[in-house]
Amino acid sequence: MRSLLDFIVKYSYVFLFILLESVSLALLFGSNERQRMAFMTSAGRFSGSILEWRSDVKSYFGLRRENEKLAYENAMLRSRLNTVLDNIEVESLFSRIEGDYAVARVIDNSVRKDDNYITINKGRADGIERGMGVFDSRGVIGVVMLPGKKYSIVLPVLNGRSSISCKISGSNSFGFLEWYGGNPYMAYIVDMPFHTDVNPGDTVVTSGFSSAFPENIPVGIVESVEEEQLNYMLRLTVSLFVDMSDIRWVYVNTHGQDPEPEELKEELQ
Amino acid sequence: MEPVSFLRRFGLMVGLVLLQVLILNRISLFGYATPMFYIWFIVRFESSMTRNAMLIWGFFIGIVIDMFTGTPGLNAACSTILALLQPKIVTLFLSKDRRDIVVPSRDTMGGGPLAGYLFLTTLVHHTFYFIFRSIPLGDWTVLMAKIVFSTLLTFLIMLAVGMSADRSDKRRSL
Repeated sequence: MRSLLDFIVKYSYVFLFILLESVSLALLFGSNERQRMAFMTSAGRFSGSILEWRSDVKSYFGLRRENEKLAYENAMLRSRLNTVLDNIEVESLFSRIEGDYAVARVIDNSVRKDDNYITINKGRADGIERGMGVFDSRGVIGVVMLPGKKYSIVLPVLNGRSSISCKISGSNSFGFLEWYGGNPYMAYIVDMPFHTDVNPGDTVVTSGFSSAFPENIPVGIVESVEEEQLNYMLRLTVSLFVDMSDIRWVYVNTHGQDPEPEELKEELQ
Repeated sequence: MEPVSFLRRFGLMVGLVLLQVLILNRISLFGYATPMFYIWFIVRFESSMTRNAMLIWGFFIGIVIDMFTGTPGLNAACSTILALLQPKIVTLFLSKDRRDIVVPSRDTMGGGPLAGYLFLTTLVHHTFYFIFRSIPLGDWTVLMAKIVFSTLLTFLIMLAVGMSADRSDKRRSL
């Protein structure tokens, strides 16, 4: 009996190892996507605040670039404003736009993995909800996937699970923007009808068919067009407007968000 | 040599975690190689530690890294395995008369054995890491490339730190 006890004490570390390793492997392989995302505590308070601090430090070094981007956007908006001013009264225009978008800062981001995620520093407390579209002055970035209290995880275009409804600017044929890993500057439009008149150089924008994005948010430029004989669809290679490795400030489309259709769709699947 | 105090070990852990998640995790050479220098924490376990303490510390630093990277259990599983094997790997590179209380370093082992020790610990950790991360195993060549490049990168950083650490401050144990 005593020697048994001695044995157990002497090799207690083996039992401890088995215990700790089981916990780790259970976390690693046992957790479903939702638990995994919940664990992904870059949306949690602790790691979120440290990542935000890093982003603070980094943003000082990027101020010059940010200024350039803002100046560019200002110039673009100003020229656009001039064209609409003739038709619409300014006051009604601003009352419509106000409250449509929340501004958030990207505090964590990756582009090199097979499944990338972005963390932004706005959450449910700021009115962010699942399914809201995220973009910046250059174009589409992704869709809010898991809103935490203060931080949210965004499913970016550069994720195998991302699928965003898009169309060719000026036409009404639409398809879905998808990404299959690899090059972070290229994505694909699939399920575009065969007869669509589309050429390299055409601009891809959001279709407005899903509640995530308003219509006509820029996505990218068509690089090449492939005909998929099997299902009579076109497959477009698209060069993205947004350099996903260089995003700091983003807009979240909080207006017109109606999560119910999305949930219904999920239930139907 | 005095055993390392709890506070000091904890401080080292916090420092290494921050270094890892704030800087090193951003590095991705050729899309394959990411240095995982945080295992320095386990590499420097002194042989006077109980095996239970090694396992708990190893698990702990892994799970904290996981909290930042959104990979529940991945780093914890690998660092716990490394914490289990670390004492065995040390003895492979120690001469028989140096089996007393020792922190693996250039002073206690000599440069050559230290390099071998650092390489083997890194290889063990990174092999488990990339296998666990890639399950279900798909492309073997990509997997091997990731293991080889990351191991080399982490190893070179650890070697540089290991070779210079003791020279500058011989009496410090960490």
